[in-house]
Amino acid sequence: MSAVPVQDLEVPTLEVRNLQTRFHTRAGVLPVVDGVSFTLGRGKVLGLVGESGSGKSVTGFSIMGLVDPPGKVEGGQVLFQGRELTQLPATERRELRGNRIAMIFQDPMATLNPVLRVDTQMIEAVKAHQRVSTEEARRHARDTLGRMGIPSPEERLRAYPHQLSGGMRQRVAIAIAMLHGPDLIIADEPTTALDVTIQAQILSEVQKLVRETGTSLIWISHDLSVVASLADEIAVMYAGRIVEHGTVADVLDHPQHPYTRGLIDSLPSANARGARLRQIQGMTPSLLDMPVGCAFAPRCPHADAACEQRPGVSRPRHDAPWHEVRCFHPQRDTLVPAVSAALPATARVPAQEQDVPLIALRQVAQRFGATLPPGAVGRTLRSIGLSKPPVVTHAVDGVDLSVRPGEVVGLVGESGCGKSTLGRIAAGLLTPTEGEVIVGGKPATSLSGEEQLAARLRIQMVFQDPYASLNPRLRVSRIVGEAALLHGLTDASGQDDYVCAQLRRAGLDPALRHRYPHQFSGGQRQRIGIARALAVQPSMLVCDEAVAALDVSIQAQILNLFMDLRDQLGLAYLFISHDLGVIEHLCDRVVVMYLGRVVESAPVAELFARPAHPYTQALLDEIPSIDARRTTFSAIRGEIPSPIAPPSGCHFHPRCPKAMPRCRAEVPQLRGIAVRHATACHLYEATYDTN
Amino acid sequence: MSAAKSYDERSIWWLVAADFLHSRIAVGGLVLLAVVVLAALLAPWITPQNPYDLLQLDVLDARLPPGSHSSEGGYTYWLGTDGQGRDLYSAIVYGLRISLTVGVGSALIAAVVGTLVGLVAAYAGGKVDALLMRLVDLLLSFPTILMALMILAYVGKGVGNVMLTLVLLEWAYYARTARGQALVEARREYVDAARGQGIARWRIVTGHILPNCLPPLLVIGALQIARAITLEATLSFLGLGVPITEPSLGLLISNGYQYLLSNEYWISFFPGVALLAAIVAINLVGDQLRDVLNPRLQK
Repeated sequence: MSAVPVQDLEVPTLEVRNLQTRFHTRAGVLPVVDGVSFTLGRGKVLGLVGESGSGKSVTGFSIMGLVDPPGKVEGGQVLFQGRELTQLPATERRELRGNRIAMIFQDPMATLNPVLRVDTQMIEAVKAHQRVSTEEARRHARDTLGRMGIPSPEERLRAYPHQLSGGMRQRVAIAIAMLHGPDLIIADEPTTALDVTIQAQILSEVQKLVRETGTSLIWISHDLSVVASLADEIAVMYAGRIVEHGTVADVLDHPQHPYTRGLIDSLPSANARGARLRQIQGMTPSLLDMPVGCAFAPRCPHADAACEQRPGVSRPRHDAPWHEVRCFHPQRDTLVPAVSAALPATARVPAQEQDVPLIALRQVAQRFGATLPPGAVGRTLRSIGLSKPPVVTHAVDGVDLSVRPGEVVGLVGESGCGKSTLGRIAAGLLTPTEGEVIVGGKPATSLSGEEQLAARLRIQMVFQDPYASLNPRLRVSRIVGEAALLHGLTDASGQDDYVCAQLRRAGLDPALRHRYPHQFSGGQRQRIGIARALAVQPSMLVCDEAVAALDVSIQAQILNLFMDLRDQLGLAYLFISHDLGVIEHLCDRVVVMYLGRVVESAPVAELFARPAHPYTQALLDEIPSIDARRTTFSAIRGEIPSPIAPPSGCHFHPRCPKAMPRCRAEVPQLRGIAVRHATACHLYEATYDTN
Repeated sequence: MSAAKSYDERSIWWLVAADFLHSRIAVGGLVLLAVVVLAALLAPWITPQNPYDLLQLDVLDARLPPGSHSSEGGYTYWLGTDGQGRDLYSAIVYGLRISLTVGVGSALIAAVVGTLVGLVAAYAGGKVDALLMRLVDLLLSFPTILMALMILAYVGKGVGNVMLTLVLLEWAYYARTARGQALVEARREYVDAARGQGIARWRIVTGHILPNCLPPLLVIGALQIARAITLEATLSFLGLGVPITEPSLGLLISNGYQYLLSNEYWISFFPGVALLAAIVAINLVGDQLRDVLNPRLQK
């Protein structure tokens, strides 16, 4: 045993002092972590929050000793139970890693080895730090999976990672981290890629484990609301420094740093429904070109000359010394209540029932799956057992949807529910295998070539991934201007001005039009995508998770842009998102989907006030929110079934707390239960059948 | 900012060039390649003799060792002479011309043909795709030399015919890569975006997808040039390549082969070194291109 003193409560599990991690790149030296200090007591949960590039992940990696070249920990100390780690020889550090300190990563598919079974990997992890037999190691692995609340652990042990769902994989990764009962776990965005209901389950399990075992936890996240429900303390990072650190209540209820306030203010839930969001101007400075003074000064409404000359120092709050803020002008006043501060929602004329819908989908279905080999050959092959009957997936299964001019329709659901497929059908990128698409009152199939082109241009798409949706080999001017020129919306001489006008409308500096997409940040790229859509003068945008990949402060800017365009151009939207907060803020009407079917559809106020379908109710319960600092999660149980083999009857019945025998046998029809409010659930038939 | 463009305003190709110059070995290869190409381009001005002009050859000077003086021209045979009394240095420089022309020419034509076929296969899909790709499989499954010998035996010798043979053998590599790459690119969101904007399909293929398929094709092109030069040298060595009056490097090596045992090594040796230099240079450049253009290997 080493000279570590017997654990007592005085020695914190982790103490980080003035940590400096720099990346030596060809472009220059990047101070990715620039003087981070904090202390984490035994059994405490610290939420480390920041936007991309804030250095939060690298802080975690630095503590683990996992920073790879060109990065290097160049200063400061990491004291783990009083023992300084940064100077430790590699072998001793390795001995600690996985044993006393464990890490959980965002992508469990990348952490788990895809060609090894779960038991092989877990046994290896056990044996790395314990001299035990393989059987003992396996038993220990199974027990740990059991403690994680994983059903039928024996079965999971025999599986390969790809045979597990995303949520299950992440649970296995967490179980591996927990194998040796570590004193410290660093979790790097472990639930970011998961669905809301699965995230809630994992959060509650992790919370239980941490309480039971006394493990300290650093939960790295970009999402204040997730951290709010889990952590004891929150540290907010900005450009490599912790700008604010305090208890959850301190930081969320009495934020002192203008950046923290900005983050909280820009959440849709902190703003009046439908109003412009309060946003932080500008974007994170490049680490290559950091301001001399406070890194936030260029974006800060309270900055003065002092802020620009020297960096702020972390200072305790006068009335709460444990709450530290790195700012010359901490905001003492309490948070302004959202409603009074928000700009009044512009008086919009709601879409009229009698308006001809821009697009109407009638009982559309989209099947994917093996159709080969067709015809007689296929039948023969099948009959002699050489070919299996084709597996057919109903990505979308008999959906009605319409969007009227100027209307904002939200489409919500978890992964595999078919919302993206439906969006692509609406945008004309997919032709449904069944059902009818009616564009501007006419069936799409009856349109002439010219009308088809016009219909296609009228509905434009804004994609989720701002990187993949722009052609990397083309300059912005061509990306935005090509279609307009081809379709005669502008001519060769006017094209340049036309492109500039579109970029300006999307909030981009037209001077940047000769650049390539890789020279822009994520938010700017999304603006380019919007400018491209606007360039063909659409009357409706289909936004498929269009803000999901963006940082909170950038997300608010883009949402505001969407709302401005709605008001200025009268654009209609089909807004597809898994984020109910965004949907609630932006939409007039919400459609909820589950495994290819619509389960509920209602005006937004009605849906959020009186959700009818048990699935909608569960979704609403699970939204992480900075106001809900829950200690318990009423998670709906179970996983989202595979759309390849959906459950019979109502697809939701295996997870539904109110399921009846009838739900297993009979598919519920979508029927009206109130004005413009419809749901597909057997619970409501008896009550409202008379309507 | 100065008049020069700032770092982030440069095009992707500029960044690729910057990355490329990061490896010293690759830069060495590039310099060597430049020397080889320049020598081939400037052949008439940097050689004392036109090796194809039989009037300038003197049989009396046949098989002189390196450093000998010519009996009439008054210049030195720095690399010796071959069996016809050719100055080997001149013959090598002129031979490089032929080797490079054949190599680059056939690789370029094969690239255009192969890329076209690959794009058509990816674009058309279905039966056309299956048919074209099986043809590619068929071609790739034959031993290259055997195919080349068969084709050449049918069409006969000559620079043009060698190039034709090489094109017939090589287009399949480009076709397969172009098709694979085009299928990958066709699934990206920017293609959906272009479709959603009503841009015609052929325009999407040529204007949007093709530029994104170029990097791997470029790499194959570089390596195929080296392959074509080797293949041409082999064919000429075997006597089925270029005519004896216009010797390429392979033919020069072949001509000297019979004298190797009588200690007149230089007739084969120096053309061999030139061939080696050219191929190593091209391969070095090609390898570095592959590393630079492969996003997986990027830091």
